[in-house]
Amino acid sequence: MSKFDYSDLVNAKDALQTRSIFWDPAIYQEELKQIFNRCWLFLAHESQIPEPGDFIRTYMGEDDVIVVRGQDKKVRAFLNACMHRGNKVCQAEWGQTKAFTCSYHGWSYDTSGRLAAVPLEKDIYDNLDRSRFGLAPVARVENYKGLIFGTFAKEGPSLAEYLGDVSWYLDVLLEASPGGLELIGTPYRVEVPGNWKLPVENAIGDGYHVTWAHAGAMRVVGTLATGRSEQVLGIGAENSGVDLSGAIEINVPPHTVLSSLDGRSGYALYDHPEKVLEYVEQNRPDVIKRLGELRGRSLYGSETHIGIFPNLQVIQGLNFLRIIHPRGPGAFEVWTFAMVDKNMPAAVKEVIEKNVRATFGPAGLLEGDDGDFTEAITHSASGYATRQLKGWLGMGQGRRVPWDGPGEASPGLVNELCQRSFYEQWQRTMSAASVLDILPPKAATATELAAEPVREVVNG
Amino acid sequence: MGNPALRAVPREEVPLDVAYRVERFLSLEARVLDEERYADWLALLTEDVSYRMPIPRNTKRKNRPGTTSLGGDGLIYDETLPTLRQRALREDTGLVWLNDPPTHHVRLITNVETFVGDAPSTYDVRSKFMLFRARRDRDRVSHVGWREDILRETSAGLRIAARTVYLPERVITDKNLNTFF
Repeated sequence: MSKFDYSDLVNAKDALQTRSIFWDPAIYQEELKQIFNRCWLFLAHESQIPEPGDFIRTYMGEDDVIVVRGQDKKVRAFLNACMHRGNKVCQAEWGQTKAFTCSYHGWSYDTSGRLAAVPLEKDIYDNLDRSRFGLAPVARVENYKGLIFGTFAKEGPSLAEYLGDVSWYLDVLLEASPGGLELIGTPYRVEVPGNWKLPVENAIGDGYHVTWAHAGAMRVVGTLATGRSEQVLGIGAENSGVDLSGAIEINVPPHTVLSSLDGRSGYALYDHPEKVLEYVEQNRPDVIKRLGELRGRSLYGSETHIGIFPNLQVIQGLNFLRIIHPRGPGAFEVWTFAMVDKNMPAAVKEVIEKNVRATFGPAGLLEGDDGDFTEAITHSASGYATRQLKGWLGMGQGRRVPWDGPGEASPGLVNELCQRSFYEQWQRTMSAASVLDILPPKAATATELAAEPVREVVNG
Repeated sequence: MGNPALRAVPREEVPLDVAYRVERFLSLEARVLDEERYADWLALLTEDVSYRMPIPRNTKRKNRPGTTSLGGDGLIYDETLPTLRQRALREDTGLVWLNDPPTHHVRLITNVETFVGDAPSTYDVRSKFMLFRARRDRDRVSHVGWREDILRETSAGLRIAARTVYLPERVITDKNLNTFF
């Protein structure tokens, strides 16, 4: 039996979410166990740790984790906790090392997690069995074309199974260029007082808020007053109307995709998009050859937001990769990485890095606008009456549009399909007794597909 | 590499009257910003102004750089006059809901040290700041750090030609940094 009535907390049929799911500390503790301790979570991109001894620290839920390339070049991940008393064995956020040494008593672990040295060992212990005290490993670590994920679940879907059809979309980023993807610069880290689910579904699905919540920024970005930034969403100047044709939101459970599908508007928010657009057009014939017409023409170069459940967003166009780490029910930490093709000319990478900084860095023109409402939605629910209320995501419900790629598509970027899908997956994962049941059943996915014939799915 | 390296502190101090003018100028600038007079603030910058804020890093003091894609010039602000103007314009659109009701700012500028600059008619000015922000019922955030400025003597008076803001917070605990330091 589930601890909570998930069919009431998230009512999929009526697209309602009870406000307590953003506030209740008990639900949050259950999320750490049911979601963050079982799902595949993004750890790192291999460009960040190319050489033996390279490591980064990250979080899986609230668990502090070290991701390290061993001397054997294999990538492993461990809880950042000394097996003697539990102090962290690494305080640096990234670097290159031969060992992780605890600052408490000096126990030292090699890059494959083995306990390699214990101060005064021979004098104080009788035949200490060091093999019993290796760092606690993340159960499985797998790599999808450079994206390294880990899960604490020993059993359950493989990474390829977990990603499922969303990999068809991810490949547009991962295979657009023969060198693949690269995350560059120093990641931005910002802590905001709100529940982690809100920034996730905002980034993967909420086209509706963009021209209103970010109205001030929209007036000044995307080459001043040309209106290009509004056109991306199909929204007319000053919210005068919306054209839902062209762009789509796609449900590829347990994940989501939205895309402008025009092959170029991903760069519309840039003040100086010329170099990037030139690069995109130069590459396009190659991308078409490699990934086919649909992906090469419609997805490549578009503003495309890929949401990997639970907390990873891969955003083409604005070109950043973002992780939302939970910090208790009432706070989250956003990590934002500029994302480029490894083979891009340095000048193009620079344009992208600058744009990420200017739009969604800690001082980004758009970034700061969302903090107030994530805080209010979360913390106003401390009021008993308020947390009985339900949020509603009914926009576009039941609207379908034919789409030749995998998944079920609904028209327009001003639509709440992706957000609904996120909460349905939340409900499914929270109520799944076994890790074997965290994915939607295959049959159910198939019946949700549009009546169009399903095209060939290329999963590399 | 750990924290972004500070430039070496020059040795040659300026005459007392210059030091006094610089302190007065920085106080004026802080007040203009506290009063949200962004057009007036932009007028205190040179056309070629550079305005940067590097990100402090929690890497080991003796970290080997290796070939990781991480690092490089991590910056939160990397601005020129046009992009600072863009930020100021955004504030003045009347459409920035998070500043309505307004965010109240108080800027304290202290530990001002003024040295003769490398280029003619410039001063290399070091200062510490505290930027206090208060908004809504009980949002209170203080940012404390230091700045390296290049001030230039112009026919219109002192102007800011370059500013580097060091904010020693790896994780920014503020909903936004849409402000000027």
